[in-house]
Amino acid sequence: MREITLDNLDDIARGAGILGTGGGGDPYIGKLLAREAIRRNGPVRVVDIDEVPADATVVPVSGMGAPTVLLERVPNGGEELAALRALEKHLGRPATHIAPIEVGGVNSMLPIACAAEAGLPIVDGDAMGRAFPEAQMVLPGLIGVSNSPMALADDKGSTIIVEAVDNHAAEAIARAVCVELGCQISCADTVLRGDQLADGLVPATLTLAENLGAAVRAARAEHSDPVAAAVTMLDGVPLLTGKVVDVSRRTEGGFARGRARIEGTGADTGRVLELDFQNEHLLATRDGVTVATTPDLICVLDSETGEPVTTEGLRYGLRVSVLAARCDPRWTSPGGLALAGPRYFGYETDYLPFGS
Amino acid sequence: MTVTVGVDVGPTSTDAVLLDDTRPVAAVKVPSRPGDAIGSLAAAVEELPADVRARAVTLAVGLRVAARAVTERSGLAQVGVLRIGGAAADTVRPLFGWPDELRAAVCAGVANVAGGSGLAPLDGAPLDEAAVAAFGAELAGRAEAFAVSSVFSPADGAQERAAARILRERAGQDVPVLLSGEIGALGLIQRENATVLDAALCVLVARVADELTAALPGLGLAPGAGVLVTRHDGTLMSLDYLRRQPGLSLGSGPACTLRGAGLLAGVGDAVVVDVGERRARVGVLSGGYPREAAPGEHIGGVPVILRFPDLLTVDAAAHRDIAEAADRMQPAAGRLPVVLVGGGAHRVPDAALPGCDVVRPEHGDVAGAFGAAASPVGGSCERIVRRPDALDAVRDEVRELARASAVRAGADPRRVRTVLDPEEYVPYLPGAVLLRARASGPPAPL
Repeated sequence: MREITLDNLDDIARGAGILGTGGGGDPYIGKLLAREAIRRNGPVRVVDIDEVPADATVVPVSGMGAPTVLLERVPNGGEELAALRALEKHLGRPATHIAPIEVGGVNSMLPIACAAEAGLPIVDGDAMGRAFPEAQMVLPGLIGVSNSPMALADDKGSTIIVEAVDNHAAEAIARAVCVELGCQISCADTVLRGDQLADGLVPATLTLAENLGAAVRAARAEHSDPVAAAVTMLDGVPLLTGKVVDVSRRTEGGFARGRARIEGTGADTGRVLELDFQNEHLLATRDGVTVATTPDLICVLDSETGEPVTTEGLRYGLRVSVLAARCDPRWTSPGGLALAGPRYFGYETDYLPFGS
Repeated sequence: MTVTVGVDVGPTSTDAVLLDDTRPVAAVKVPSRPGDAIGSLAAAVEELPADVRARAVTLAVGLRVAARAVTERSGLAQVGVLRIGGAAADTVRPLFGWPDELRAAVCAGVANVAGGSGLAPLDGAPLDEAAVAAFGAELAGRAEAFAVSSVFSPADGAQERAAARILRERAGQDVPVLLSGEIGALGLIQRENATVLDAALCVLVARVADELTAALPGLGLAPGAGVLVTRHDGTLMSLDYLRRQPGLSLGSGPACTLRGAGLLAGVGDAVVVDVGERRARVGVLSGGYPREAAPGEHIGGVPVILRFPDLLTVDAAAHRDIAEAADRMQPAAGRLPVVLVGGGAHRVPDAALPGCDVVRPEHGDVAGAFGAAASPVGGSCERIVRRPDALDAVRDEVRELARASAVRAGADPRRVRTVLDPEEYVPYLPGAVLLRARASGPPAPL
């Protein structure tokens, strides 16, 4: 993939849905926006991380807020561009490249739309390698890159520049602004120099999303197992295939917590997997033993179609396959786990090294 | 004792039943008359015992007219499609992704004007009334109906109502104008699609409603008996409500069959297998209501926001597939009884459903008609609440709006009961919850 065209958007969106680990928002609306932007402006050029000049100004753009609101107040695709322009004005220099902040869910698509509108190339990589819910949960933070200055834009054209004392403060300010401005805003933040990309971004994740989406599509077309195709593509491990028999959701200590119980079928008959989720799937416990935790990827797929099952979509009777895949190793450093390990999400569990 | 006549007008046969409170009294089945739903209905009702029929105060009807019109793309009205969302809603155009021939059959013209509401008053924008007037004037005489969809109208429908007034001034007071806010659920594109289908169906459905009203005095029911029609969630609505939201009657057949199966078997929670000639449909009844499918429903190739019953359809002759589907629909292994209904139920032996508590109720071949007769009049409302401290007040408001929607649909205001669904948190919006209330009650008395 050297270009994103109308032809590979579907695969990228499907793959990004899986990489969203149950969250990130349905890429559907984002895909429509990206399609429209590409139709108007032509394909988006994709560059590898090592192709980006050392002095380049790389700007990740994203949407913040509730996907539910995105489905009601459908964006026009120009909101990310407004945030980008506001940030450029503040920086006093133009962006040379766009990057996704996360490769999971709708935020895989919005930067593609923005890159098409701005006429800029997009970097094949992102700051998470998956989806996470908060603005400070990005790998560039681990190498000292600030998410300020952060530009926020609403759908009417209002913009705000946030200069916060640290990345958590920027998240708190942006979240408050987001709620006041209708629960859906656009962000341009976490500006990287070209020579920071190797340390700051997870490489080749747009390509991974595309390959993942294509593998699932191809498996379906030839009536082979789409879940197995996803496991292979992610170099992951299957945890359990079964049926959702219980789902509970509650709010506890400021965390919206959910838990699903999945009873094994077929080769997994007799086994049980408990899935803890918030915005994303975060913990998997099989037969009473923790088998995967955030920041590793826990993906729930429809057993038949290989389509991702979101945390909202979990319900009784669903036949699902749960798989785990290794996160970027930088997430498992002490700093990474402080940002996105199980304890940050309020669980009394330590990170379980993948595959142990 | 309240006697109700239930009728299910199917493609091959029309079933009519008599229900005395919750007790089945009589059931008949007659061949349907192609293209004549009301004639089929009258023929079936006439077969019911005249003495009990004469005490019936309600006629509850399941029609397939709307569903067939969409799949066959016939009898559809030309619709003026108005979106109120302005530039912020301009990228994904109205009727995006519709099959070409359906769009051609339905679309008289499209406009997107400035306006729209939000989660809070500040999020909204004023309605461009001049643009609405221009659209109405442009389509006057060409559009047989209008569909108006405004951003966040389920939370605030004032701009949709204002636009409807302007459109009627310009295009004629008699032109039906259907409003998306009445559907109640969030998701602009799919709600708009459902509203456009409503508008496309409203001329046809109005004709059927007129025929039904005209036929009513000749059916030998109690003087002044009322008519209600079934809708997709297995509740009933008045003909006036049907005229405003014809799409709500799409997919009502399966919902009524599920409800009727539960009624006849005397259970509120069950897996229901409806075995027809060629296909078997498997659904779940939960607390008396059909369990809803996950979002992502389509009608005639168009994504819509309506919530239909969750169904698996398999080959009626493939007993293994039926058993697999019934097992799959179980909330947990072997918990609920499996109720077998439909004309082909006798061809599926108990042995095909090993380990299941199989129930075969009497009159199971006319479960849909009994479901129509036994269904309450219903309504619903949903709302996003951004701050937990506002929850209590909004909870009452949502219940009240659901109640009002049931009353608009024809329920007895004094006997409507409301139920709040479990609160769902809104992803990526800390503290926010989605509230949804459902209301149901018996039809308003004569």
